[in-house]
Amino acid sequence: MTTTCRREAAESPSESSGTSTPPPAPERGTGAAERSRKRRGWALLIVAAIVISAVAAGIGRGQVIKSEGAGSLFDFFAAAASPRLDAEFLALTGTAMLTTLAYAVLGTALSLVIGLIGGVLSSQAWWASGVRSRRGRRLAGWGLARAVLVVPRGIHEVVWGLFFLVVFGIDPIVAVLAIGIPFGAVTAKVFSELLDETGRKPYTALLAAGSSKWSAMLYGLLPPALPDLISYGFYRFECAIRSAAILGLVGAGGLGFQLALSFQTLRYPEIWTLLFALILLSVAADYWSSLVRSARARGRRRSRDGGGVRRDPLLTASLVFGAVLIALSAWWVGLDIAVLWSGKAWEFGIQLLSEAWPPSVGGTGVSGLLMLAGVTLAMSIVAITIAFGLGALFAVPASTPAQGRDHVERGAVARIARTAAMLASRFVLVVLRAIPPPVWALLLLFVMYPGILPGAIALAVYTTGVLGRLMAESVDNLDARPLRAIRATGASASKVFCYGVIPAAAPRFVAYGLYRWEVTIRETVVVGVVGAGGLGLLLDHQIGSFNYAGALTTLATLILLTLVVDVTSAAIRRSVR
Amino acid sequence: MPRVPLRLIALTAIGMLLLAACGQSPGDPRGSSGSDGEQVLAVGAIPDQDPQELQRRYGTLADYLKEKVGVEVKYVPVTDYTASVTAFRRGDLQLVFFGGLTGVQARTQVSGAIPLAQRDIDADFRSVFIANTNTEIEQFDDLDGLRKLAGHSFTFGSDTSTSGRLMPQHFLSEAGMSVDDFSGNPGYSGSHDKTAKLVEAGTYQTGALNSSVWDELVKSDKVDTSKVREVFRTPPYHDYHWMARPDIDDQLGDGTTDKIKQALLDLDGSDATEKKILDMFQAGSFVDTAPGNYAQIEQVAQRLGLLN
Repeated sequence: MTTTCRREAAESPSESSGTSTPPPAPERGTGAAERSRKRRGWALLIVAAIVISAVAAGIGRGQVIKSEGAGSLFDFFAAAASPRLDAEFLALTGTAMLTTLAYAVLGTALSLVIGLIGGVLSSQAWWASGVRSRRGRRLAGWGLARAVLVVPRGIHEVVWGLFFLVVFGIDPIVAVLAIGIPFGAVTAKVFSELLDETGRKPYTALLAAGSSKWSAMLYGLLPPALPDLISYGFYRFECAIRSAAILGLVGAGGLGFQLALSFQTLRYPEIWTLLFALILLSVAADYWSSLVRSARARGRRRSRDGGGVRRDPLLTASLVFGAVLIALSAWWVGLDIAVLWSGKAWEFGIQLLSEAWPPSVGGTGVSGLLMLAGVTLAMSIVAITIAFGLGALFAVPASTPAQGRDHVERGAVARIARTAAMLASRFVLVVLRAIPPPVWALLLLFVMYPGILPGAIALAVYTTGVLGRLMAESVDNLDARPLRAIRATGASASKVFCYGVIPAAAPRFVAYGLYRWEVTIRETVVVGVVGAGGLGLLLDHQIGSFNYAGALTTLATLILLTLVVDVTSAAIRRSVR
Repeated sequence: MPRVPLRLIALTAIGMLLLAACGQSPGDPRGSSGSDGEQVLAVGAIPDQDPQELQRRYGTLADYLKEKVGVEVKYVPVTDYTASVTAFRRGDLQLVFFGGLTGVQARTQVSGAIPLAQRDIDADFRSVFIANTNTEIEQFDDLDGLRKLAGHSFTFGSDTSTSGRLMPQHFLSEAGMSVDDFSGNPGYSGSHDKTAKLVEAGTYQTGALNSSVWDELVKSDKVDTSKVREVFRTPPYHDYHWMARPDIDDQLGDGTTDKIKQALLDLDGSDATEKKILDMFQAGSFVDTAPGNYAQIEQVAQRLGLLN
C-alpha cells in the first residue's frame, strides 16, 4: 500500500523541486506492455469523449459565430480604458474591497481547518496505521471519509450561499460558510494527497514506539508536510477572493455585490473599476504567496548545501499577519458565530429540510435529468479541453525564467524580452480569471449564438486563467538539475524545452487539468444564462421558484457527476503515472 | 531576518484589535444603523431599475420613515430576487419593495403579509416585446400579432421577473403561443438591460422586457434603434408594491404598519426630500393597493409552477 503512494500532484502548487521527477513507480506485476496498452485505451477514450462533446456542443453544425455583436464586445473592453474613477465610487469600491478581503480571509481560515481535519481523516496514512483494525474496516473508513467530502465539492459556492441564507438569514456567517465548506472539502482532498506523499517513516516510528495515532500524526507526519500545506493555503486564498466576489448576490456585500449591481444594468466603466480592484487583490495575494514560497525554496537550497534546516522568519511573520487578518476580518464584517446554535437558525434549517425531503424529479423526468446532465458534462469537457491547451500555451512564458533553465547564455536583450513576456502573460492570465464566468458568458453571447458552446467557452476562458497560473507554477518548481544536464551536453534552448521541460511538466499538467475538470462541472451552474442550460439553468429555476425538493434532486445529480469525474480522473492519473 | 519585525507586527496586531473591539463593523451585511437592543425596521428592495441608486435612495427614504413613523430604520442591501423573498420570510427584512411576482411569492411564504402601497405607475405597468430589425417584424397593436414571433429565437429577462418573464409569458399564451413555438429554447438573459443588448446583437431575434427600462434605454441612446425595435406593448397589469410583514406591529408597537403606509401615501413632493424620494422611484406618488390587484399574477405564477 505504501509503495503505491498516490503521487497526485493535483493542486499542490509548490512541491519541493526535488520531488518533481517521480521515482520510478514499482509496477504491480503488470509489466510495461500492459501499462502502455492501458494508456492507449485512456487516450482513445479521452479523444472519443472530446469529439462527442464537441459535436453535442454544436461545433461544425451551422452558424456558431456572428459578427454583428462584435461592437458590443468591443464596447466592454474599450471601457477598460475609462473606468469610473470619481471619488464617491472609488470610496465605495475601497470599502467593498475590504469586505471581499475579509470574507476571503475568514472563508480560507475555515477551509484550512476543515481541510486539515478532513485531510488527515481521508489520508491513507491515517487508515493504514491502526495496528489492530482490520483491512475491511480501514478501507470502509477511508472510502467513507472521501465520499463525504465529495458532497460539498459537488455544490457551487453560490448554491451553498443560497442554502445558508435560508438558514441564517442575512448574516456574515453565510458567506464565510459558503466559501469555507466547499473549499474545505477541496483542501481536505489535496491535503490528504500531500500527506500520503510525505515520507511516512517518522510517523511509523512514532507509532511503533507506542504513541497514539493523533500524536504520531501531529509530530511525525504534519511537520514535514506543513510547508506544502501552507503554500496550498495561499493558493486557496486567491481562489477565495474570486469566490467572495461572486457571492455578492446572496447579500454578502463587497465587490461581488457592487459587481452584480453594475452588471445587471451593464455599466461597463463601473464593472471595470470593480474588476481592477479584484485584480489588485488577486495580484497582492499572489505576490505574498510567491514571496513565502521563494523564501522557502532558498531555505531548502541552503539546507541542502549543509546549512541546516532553519526557521523561516517570513513564514512565521506571515502566520502572525494571517492571524491578525482573521481577527480584523471578523470585526469588519461583524461576524458572530453564536448564530450557528441560535434556535431560529435550527428552526429554519429543519423547515428547509422538511420542504426538500423527499426529493422530487419534477417536470423533466429522469430521462430529462439525464439529458441535462449530459449537456453539463459535454459543456465541461469542451471547456476543459480548450482551457488545457490554452493554459499550457500560456504557462511556459508565464513561468519564472530560472537559472540553469532556458536562457542561461543569452544576452541582456533576450533576458528583458523574456521578462516582458512573463509579465505580459501573467497579466493576461490574471485578467482572464478575474472576470467572473457569468460576465464572460454574456460577452461571448454577443458574438455567438446561444447554446452549449458559448457557455463552454466562457468557462474555458476563465479556467485558462486559473490553469495557466497553476501550470506556470509547476514549471517554476521543476527540478533544474536535469535541465542543466541536458544543457551541458550542448543542446539548444528549444531542445532543452522539448526534452527536458515538457516530459517533466506533462504529468503535472494532466493532474491539474483533471482537477480543474471537476471544478468546471460545478462552475457550469453559474453560466446558465447562455441558453444551453444543462443542470445549471434547471437549478436556477428551481431555486427561483422555491422548489427545494426539485433542487435537491438536481444537486444530487451534480454530486453524482462530480463523483464520476473524480473516479475517472483518478484512474487516468494512475495510468499516466 | 531579525526578531524585531515580528514583535512589531505582534504589537500592531494587539493595537488594531483593541481599536477594533470598540468600533462598529463597517462591512456588516445586516446594515449599518441601529445599535443593539433597539427595535429597528429593516427595509429592503428588489432592484430592477437603476439599482446603483439603491443605496442613496434608501438612505433618504430611511431618514424620511424614521421621522414620520418614529422608529429606527435600516436599509439592508440584497441584489437577488430569491434572496430578498427568503430574507422577508425569515423576518430579516420587514418592509420590502417587491416586484409583482416576488410579492406574490412572499405572500405565499408569509401568510398575512400586507401589500401597503404601490407607485402610481405600477397600476399601469407594461412590458414591451422587441425584435431585431433583421427579422422584419413590424410593430403591431393586436395581442394576436405575437404569433409573428413564432419560429424566431426569444429571450426573457430574469426568470422571476414579473415584467421580463411572467407577464410576457402570460400574454404569449393569451395569443395562443407556447414557448415551444420559438426556435430553440427561450433564453433567460438575467436582466432587462441584457435582454435589450442581446436582441440588439442578434443573439436572440426577439425578447421581452420592462417597458420603462426600455423607454429609458431608448431615451438615453443606450440601444441602437436601427438594430432593435419595439414591436408590441402589452396591456397594463399591476407590478411593484411595498409589502409589510404581519408582525411589524407586535415588534415595533401598535399602529406602526398604518403609520408606515400613511407616510408612503403622504409623499407628494412638497419638499426637497419628498421630491428626491419620488424621483428615485420614478414615481409621481404612492397609492393604495390591495391583494386582489395581484390575483392575475398569482394565477399565472401558479400555472408556471413558480409558487412553492
